Amino acid sequence: MIEINNLVKHYGDKKAVNGISFTVNDDEVLGFLGPNGAGKSTTMNIITGYLSSTSGTVKVNGHDILEEPELAKRDIGYLPELPPLYLDMTVLEYLNFICDVKGVKKSERKEHLAKVISMVKITDVADRLIGNLSKGYKQRVGIAQAIVGDPKILILDEPTVGLDPNQILEIRKLIKTLAKSHSVIISSHILSEIQAVADRVVIINKGKVAAIDTISDLSKRLSGSSKLLLSFKGPVKEVCSKIHSVPGVVNVSQRISDGDIHEIELTIDNNSASDVRASIFFAMAKSGWPILEFRSLDPSLEEIFLSITSKG
Amino acid sequence: MTAIFKREFLSYFRSPVGYVAIAIFSFLSGFLFYSQFSTGGVNLSSEINSLRNFFVIIIPIITMGLFAEDKKRGTEVLYYTTPVNLFSVVMGKFLAAVALFAVMFSNVFIHMIVTKACDGAVGVGVWGSVIVYFFMAFMFISIGILASAVTDSQIIAAIFCFIMILVIQLIDTISTYFGNAVTALLGNFGLNSEKAASVGSKLAEGLSWLDPFDKTQDFRFGVFSVSALMFCLSVAVVFLYLAFRVLEKKRWSQG
Repeated sequence: MIEINNLVKHYGDKKAVNGISFTVNDDEVLGFLGPNGAGKSTTMNIITGYLSSTSGTVKVNGHDILEEPELAKRDIGYLPELPPLYLDMTVLEYLNFICDVKGVKKSERKEHLAKVISMVKITDVADRLIGNLSKGYKQRVGIAQAIVGDPKILILDEPTVGLDPNQILEIRKLIKTLAKSHSVIISSHILSEIQAVADRVVIINKGKVAAIDTISDLSKRLSGSSKLLLSFKGPVKEVCSKIHSVPGVVNVSQRISDGDIHEIELTIDNNSASDVRASIFFAMAKSGWPILEFRSLDPSLEEIFLSITSKG
Repeated sequence: MTAIFKREFLSYFRSPVGYVAIAIFSFLSGFLFYSQFSTGGVNLSSEINSLRNFFVIIIPIITMGLFAEDKKRGTEVLYYTTPVNLFSVVMGKFLAAVALFAVMFSNVFIHMIVTKACDGAVGVGVWGSVIVYFFMAFMFISIGILASAVTDSQIIAAIFCFIMILVIQLIDTISTYFGNAVTALLGNFGLNSEKAASVGSKLAEGLSWLDPFDKTQDFRFGVFSVSALMFCLSVAVVFLYLAFRVLEKKRWSQG
């Protein structure tokens, strides 16, 4: 369990973190969401003891990170944005070094490392130089480094950034496995990323907490209106007016046109009783205008902030 | 500490650094030994003392990466976020550099064996020179570690270390110039020339007190002085502590 109380960090005149408080419960995955430069990494660096706060406290399982750093750090595994890897070592040498640094007992080491290596699936590359590994494997070695020594809390700073979609799915799966026996804080600037793994979300913006909520409550709060993208073949003006007349459609705006293929964006009132999508489909079909693409648009972080802050 | 020591020492041999340092040292010591050997008059003390002049090249090479590289690669996070103590990190790295030094120095032990085998003398003065050599290495390595701790560029660390060692090696000359300059300055301000000269020479004397080469010059004759060794050791401790403070301060920085 981590208790974060009124954290403030100044960089000169700039307040990177300005009064952040929240709690992470045991065996919970907490998503840490915010745009670039919101203070995510700074907060995580303070929680892990890499930086000190200007004021405020961080308690890890009851131990203050500044007053009892060694006890507090024993419970934390940290994967920073840039994984702390020695490129000139092999994976096994590196993990052995991490065991030394974290004080894993010699007698338990072999078994422990075997467990960690199979968990993050790096058995095949265990004897290769880290510098020669692909980015996905480097990230896994970074995660392995964090879970060496069995810390109860894992702090992962943007663990999927720069990975290809397959690797992202695999890392997500790995995080879900880890979440069964660890508290996890995971940061990202992509909402869907957090939605996929987290139980609860802390949204921060400009160094302040904008919202703390469970994923389901958050999506309810966001569900007042949502957006759909429709791409079709047909006359734009007529289609727009036709769709506008479908009950539940609040607004229609044109996005791109390419020849007779057009793309429009629809704002939907989600509280409407019938499924708007079905009505739109039948309206288009009846008029003989083929639908080429029809999907919902994820709200951007800015829209989330707007909707959260405007609704209080 | 042993974990850091082991990693750093082995990492010298995972990159060219360790080999380059050993190669340079082997060449220099081999050359000095050979030039004496070929004339028939081997004097190991003077070989070892000449090798001290090359601290200025070898020490920056082996210390520049110790912390600068960690900062650049982001691996320093490990020192701050794991239960390891920051001072033991500094000590581990220091001992790794000292160990590399010891490996390099094994050349001279070979020269000793050769000398002995050829019925030459390896007297107490030679051992005195060896002791001085190592204590000075402690001092200069700790200076290199501080240089590496203050920057994340290896080049800047090397230059900083190079300049510091150069100043210490030339401190005798520098103190004379400094004394003369003060004398001239005071003379210009109208102080009578005798007084000005005495102030200047006192200052020069004070500055040259810092010269470790002067303090340890009798070791080669077998005259040992504990205070000289303590001086080297104290300087080493001060610089290592400064390096530790610099690293610790980073955490508190508000910049």
